[in-house]
Amino acid sequence: MQQQGKSSGSEMEVTWEDQQNINTFSRFNNRLHELVDEIKFAKEKCDNLEDAGNELILADEEMVRFQIGEVFAHVPKDEVETRIEEMKEATIKSLEKLEQEKESLVLQMAELKKVLYAKFKDSINLEED
Amino acid sequence: MASSSSPSGSGSDLSERRGIPAAKFIQDVETYLSQSGFDSNSALAFHQERLQQYKVVEMKLLAQQRDLQAKIPDIEKCLEVVGTLETRKGTGESLLADFEVSEGIYSRACIEDTDSVCLWLGANVMLEYSCEEATALLKNNLENAKASLEVLVADLQFLRDQVTVTQVTIARIYNYDVHQRRVKQVTPSAIATADA
Repeated sequence: MQQQGKSSGSEMEVTWEDQQNINTFSRFNNRLHELVDEIKFAKEKCDNLEDAGNELILADEEMVRFQIGEVFAHVPKDEVETRIEEMKEATIKSLEKLEQEKESLVLQMAELKKVLYAKFKDSINLEED
Repeated sequence: MASSSSPSGSGSDLSERRGIPAAKFIQDVETYLSQSGFDSNSALAFHQERLQQYKVVEMKLLAQQRDLQAKIPDIEKCLEVVGTLETRKGTGESLLADFEVSEGIYSRACIEDTDSVCLWLGANVMLEYSCEEATALLKNNLENAKASLEVLVADLQFLRDQVTVTQVTIARIYNYDVHQRRVKQVTPSAIATADA
């Protein structure tokens, strides 16, 4: 993810505008990495909640231990079911939001890439290693 | 965390932000070198050093960010517990809970219908609050933590912009230097061939 405004051979003019484009690209790239992690995390959480929900259907106990904070509270099964369902919905929603942000970032980065490559040709490298 | 998607270069005109000096953008390497009195090597060394300093600050900020990011779910957990106790309030039902006494050792607690919780305030102080007060306090803490995280993220963004500017500057000075050397090398040999 190194951006190097290399002006090879003949001195290539780097304007403040170019610099700002590079900055923006770098910032987007950083955010993209964060997003990828966050999305991974949200997906894992979703899977775990899904598993918990399935496990709950199989369980024949009336009371299950549900972790609230640091303690395992004894909570009736149906209440846990609704709570897990709620948590899952919230996670899915935030996951969708993250995916959307990622998409728009990727688009904007592609635009910036076009602009920067058009100006600097192969003197600049905007690809991941 | 959604603020980062705005494409406008936030605060790029500042000369510093929270003690972090801004990296100056160099319009033209040649004028910069002649004006500052640096030769290419010392200019490179200067900017490399700057870059290192930025990296040190980045590490610090990242550590702070991690701390805050860990703190927020903690507060949310507390809020959840207080919320659970609050919903039980007045129902007369007691809450049965398994809790960890020591690592790997659990015991069972019966929490009677209660109106208050004790919050650990730090510095060896614990205070009893009513559930409403506790919720308010925790929410306040949560808001504060989120606000400082936002500021921190903005700081990091500013810092990273400066890092990028410095990296580009280094690359440009380096290229300028290489270019100069090449010109210098070509000229004497050209003269030599002209002489012969």
